[in-house]
Amino acid sequence: MKNPLKKIFDDTKPFFTGDGKYKKYEPIWDATKTFFFLPSQKNSFMPFVRDHLDLKRYMSIVVLSLLPVTFFGIYNTGYQAGIGAGESWPVTQCFLVGACYVLPIIIVSYAVGFAWEFLFAVIRGHNISEGFLVTGLLFPLTLPPTIPLWQVALGISFGVIIGKEVFGGTGRNILNPALTGRAFLFFSYPVSMSGDVWVAGKHLVDGVTGATALSVTGAGGQSITAALGDAGYSLGQLFTGFVPGSVGETSALCCLFGAAILMVTRIANYRVIIGGIAGLVITSVIVYLIPGGQESWSNAGPLYHLCAGGFLFGISFMATDPVSAPGTNPGRWIFGAAIGFLTVIIRVGNPAFMEGVMLAILFMNVFAPLLDHLVLKYKSSKRIPNV
Amino acid sequence: MKILKISRGFDLNVAEQPDLNCAQLALPSSLGCCAGDIPHIRPKLLVKEGQRVKTGDALFTDKRDTTIQYVSPGTGQVEKVIYGHRRRLMEVVIATESEDEYVEYDPVDLDGIIDMPRDALVTVLKKGGLWQGLRQFPALDFADPDHSPALIIVVMDGNDIFSPRPGIILKDNITAFEAGMAVLRRFSNRLAVVCRKSSLEGIREQSSSVADQITHAAPDIYPAWLPGAVLYQIKQQAAENSTWYIRLDHLVMMGRFLLSGRYPVEKIVTITRPGEQHPHMRVRQGMPLSALIGAMPGNSIVTTGRFNGRVLEKDAHIGFFENTVNIIETGPEEEMFGFARPGLDKPTLSSTFLSSLFRRPANMDCTLHGETRACINCSYCERICPNDLMPSFIMKALHAGELEDALALGLMDCCRCGLCSFACPSKIELTRILSDAMDAYYKDKQ
Ligand code: SF4
Ligand code: SF4
Repeated sequence: MKNPLKKIFDDTKPFFTGDGKYKKYEPIWDATKTFFFLPSQKNSFMPFVRDHLDLKRYMSIVVLSLLPVTFFGIYNTGYQAGIGAGESWPVTQCFLVGACYVLPIIIVSYAVGFAWEFLFAVIRGHNISEGFLVTGLLFPLTLPPTIPLWQVALGISFGVIIGKEVFGGTGRNILNPALTGRAFLFFSYPVSMSGDVWVAGKHLVDGVTGATALSVTGAGGQSITAALGDAGYSLGQLFTGFVPGSVGETSALCCLFGAAILMVTRIANYRVIIGGIAGLVITSVIVYLIPGGQESWSNAGPLYHLCAGGFLFGISFMATDPVSAPGTNPGRWIFGAAIGFLTVIIRVGNPAFMEGVMLAILFMNVFAPLLDHLVLKYKSSKRIPNV
Repeated sequence: MKILKISRGFDLNVAEQPDLNCAQLALPSSLGCCAGDIPHIRPKLLVKEGQRVKTGDALFTDKRDTTIQYVSPGTGQVEKVIYGHRRRLMEVVIATESEDEYVEYDPVDLDGIIDMPRDALVTVLKKGGLWQGLRQFPALDFADPDHSPALIIVVMDGNDIFSPRPGIILKDNITAFEAGMAVLRRFSNRLAVVCRKSSLEGIREQSSSVADQITHAAPDIYPAWLPGAVLYQIKQQAAENSTWYIRLDHLVMMGRFLLSGRYPVEKIVTITRPGEQHPHMRVRQGMPLSALIGAMPGNSIVTTGRFNGRVLEKDAHIGFFENTVNIIETGPEEEMFGFARPGLDKPTLSSTFLSSLFRRPANMDCTLHGETRACINCSYCERICPNDLMPSFIMKALHAGELEDALALGLMDCCRCGLCSFACPSKIELTRILSDAMDAYYKDKQ
């Protein structure tokens, strides 16, 4: 018997293809259909057998790897709101409250982003690219739970249009679209993106700040680690993620879990992640060994640098975006390491602007083609010429 | 013997290995001389429909060098001439008579080959329809007899994973092999004889003297034994870029032709079909597909190689360069939630399907498994390329019209193994793009 869903698509096909009434909307019809039914045309050119991995699955794995941070982010948003309200809520309430804040952000991001994606697909006459499944989820995870929804819509629009479509669409963009959107919001609406914005809910009780760990500094000779501990940011808490911060970034544990999925399935290139962590650790150790600066982040040591802020989130999910990262392996190592290095340097060198990983990634995105160019030049020079 | 090392490529684990027995097929009612599998040729027909030809009579030639002849694999009337796209000659079909009548040449023995003037040797091979068995890199055109190659590679195994085993081709052909090697020594003083590790045993069983002449063993990772991949491994200087190569079956044919003075019409062919094991088959050159595989199974394609080769139509005849026939089933046309299935039975390079946890023989079908997208820079193609190329960057250079860049990145080293297209999750036809660019560049230079 014919699959009923399949029948719907077969029946509606004449309207959307050829000179059908709704030909304009073919990309939407096509995207829906191929979501349900993976198309598989016969090969007509060698090789006649092909790998089963396609872009839909590729991007689905990235979304899968984002699920731990997403669920934890929802839970933690509720949990922090509870603390902000001075109460201790049960797990389900944390989830429900968190969902009330986070889901609308995700929904707006997907809805607005898809609208742009679709518009460009129609204008260009190509298929809707699966890459947006990832961008549309990554972007909300970098935002504070208190962000106004109109800013979400604005940010994702900027990310999709300026970050991707002006370059010619998926595969041609230089910058990571989600990060571009986030950077746009950061610079356009700094009030919504920094300071005490990281805890949802209104009634903050005394002693609870809505700032992230990165804004903590030791005062009056107190060392940074002690100051962090006093403020409720012990290493354990930073690692598990029960601290205020962007929806997706707080839990180092969940980020590592996602990174592991990406590396094991070989969807992300491990060189970027390992290189990034190595760059961060080495730089922070060097900075740590330089005397002085007791009370600033230069004295925090590699573990705090790893767990606080969005570094692990950025390096696992943002920097590994294959399109905007270098395409050569040595380039990837350098790219990762430089992000780690720059993240520490920005944190240490610029207390007014602590979250360095976002800028580090965008900055290195710009240099990725140059890294590739140098690697290619070197590799070509090693080949026995054949012309 | 040197062991070639190759780390990239397709680590074989495919069902459908052909049987090592050898069956003899009867002479079919028609034989074809096919031009479809010959690279760069500009064929010129020499016969008319209805004309009677002997085995070994020239049927067509190459306009670029009319002394090279493509000869009839059987005796009988020219039944029809088949043209393809833009009236390009594709096949000359002969209605066969049961008794062969040969075009006879003077037989030469081993010493004769060594003493024969080089020009005379080339002339007789060209006329006898065997010179084209020698190919020249990088474009894989027929060897230029005025050139003295720094190296000639003899590849014992064919282009496919399941090409005929050299042990079976060598059976009763040891002297022919020696004669062929004597011919090659007239053209170059450096020969590299390469075989797959798994073929060594079979060769040794036939003759230890042949086994002793093998200089390189290639691991059983596709395409380690393809001539282009071998050359890339052993090449030391730019002079070797225009190396020649010849396949074992053509070498043996050359030897038999010179020793007997008659066109050798025999050929060993393998058939692979899902779920079945077929023996190797001893058949005539130019066998019609229908006589080889019987009824063509519906919903499948027939090719002369899984990773490289061409699609054969139902009524086609297999060509001079082809000795493997793969029947590959089409998978399900559309799979519900295909992207989200766990995939226990889906061969893949990535580890995104459960199949990557088990090393079960892969069932391969001939569908694309997805839709074409833009390149996402994932480097899967680079990771599998045996010749250390970065196909995505070469493709981008070609799209940007930067031929020089593409050449600097090693375009002409591509051995057209097909693996980059196999691996690409964006389903980009990399092999086709590179291969077309190589051909265009070669044509331009001529
Ligand atoms: S570029 Fe592609 S076809 Fe060419 S050698 Fe590399 S993998 Fe094979
Ligand atoms: S495998 Fe395909 S998508 Fe990936 S880098 Fe190569 S060409 Fe691009």
